[in-house]
Amino acid sequence: MEITEGAVLETLPGIVLATGESALYQTGDKVRVLTRKPIGHYRVPIYLRGKSGVVQSVIKPALDNEAEGFGRNAGRERHYYRITVSMAALWVGYAGAPGDALLIEVFETWLERI
Amino acid sequence: MTSEVEHAAHDHASAIPHAHTHEDAAETPGYFEIMEISVRELLIERQLITEAEIHRQIDVLDSRTPALGAKIIARAWVDADFRGRLRADGRKTCEELGITFYDNTRLIVLENTEKVHNLVVCTLCSCYPRPILGLPPEWYKLKPYRARAVSEPRKVLAEFGTIIPDDVEVRVTDSTSILRFLVLPRRPPGTDHYTEEQLAGLVTRDAMIGVATIAAPISEQNP
Amino acid sequence: MTGPEILVQRLPNDIGGQGGPAIARTEHPLAAWEKRCHALADVLDFHKIINTEEKRHGVAALGTGINAALSYYERWILAFANILFQKGILTPAELAEKMQAVEARGAR
Repeated sequence: MEITEGAVLETLPGIVLATGESALYQTGDKVRVLTRKPIGHYRVPIYLRGKSGVVQSVIKPALDNEAEGFGRNAGRERHYYRITVSMAALWVGYAGAPGDALLIEVFETWLERI
Repeated sequence: MTSEVEHAAHDHASAIPHAHTHEDAAETPGYFEIMEISVRELLIERQLITEAEIHRQIDVLDSRTPALGAKIIARAWVDADFRGRLRADGRKTCEELGITFYDNTRLIVLENTEKVHNLVVCTLCSCYPRPILGLPPEWYKLKPYRARAVSEPRKVLAEFGTIIPDDVEVRVTDSTSILRFLVLPRRPPGTDHYTEEQLAGLVTRDAMIGVATIAAPISEQNP
Repeated sequence: MTGPEILVQRLPNDIGGQGGPAIARTEHPLAAWEKRCHALADVLDFHKIINTEEKRHGVAALGTGINAALSYYERWILAFANILFQKGILTPAELAEKMQAVEARGAR
């Protein structure tokens, strides 16, 4: 198991969580990386946009590094997710073994559930 | 292959490079070096940073070499509990050994097995576990490795002399945020009688990035 | 994506999967000024004068041509200068004058 400092929190009835307190996804969830096209700064490489993967581990909340790039050193923190994407799904004609995979950390706001 | 780590350790033990060392004095600084000197001195004059902080940080950088990573790997090979803790929380377990994370990054340790080979790259810049391996090699920061490792890892590995059988999964980690990654290579055969220190001597920087594996020591190989 | 939008939608540093030549495994120790530049980057991040992500952005913002032509730490120091101008910490004139003075004094 990799570190999973972040987690989907279980709460007492009536407890309302602030945004970002509880992870939206957990290990094993299938997710897709959004296809948005930010300008200025981003940390989600273009090769990953629109690709589907599986959450491998949930990383405890941190600042959005895309906003940090413009000097925002405080703000609402969200989880990062280390996701696994099959190499064959990333690269047309991938020359390797079928089990080969890419792992990458993605900020929560870049993911959607599938 | 033992020399890589040792050399790094020795090289980095040398003098702190700062202004007015005698070896530099004769040369005229280049344009960008002049810029570096000027920016640094202006920030010190404005009291935004101090010269002592810069010198201290150079000492910090010099104190981090692949020898630290090798120590971690050797311990993980001989101590299954340690290995388990290392895999569960890399940073905390390195801190147990007295290795700190001055850059406030977190560490995931990727264990190579009979079925899995891990490789680390930072396609967007040069993220690297500097607190435990020191500064990255030039090739790790340059375009060819960054552009190719994610899409043709087996070709890249082959260029490093590393052939991974097809029944072993290659897992490429693209390091993009606050996490850093250390590959835990497989312990080479024929080292059962090795001390932890001898094992550390076998561990190379490249194996901890994942571009190499660790061969059995020559004396252990059959002719 | 064939129009000029690709020039802004793909950052110069976003090269994963683009292929390239064989990996030259040359290694050389850092020049003294390069190590100082690295230490400066860390200290600037500690104080959040320029955080690590601002540095990355600042390097990418230099554009494809400069990224291709300059070495690693040349890009860093140039990015620091630009960011310090943008933040109003230094002015171009101040840096230019200081650089002239440093050059004039010759030795490091």
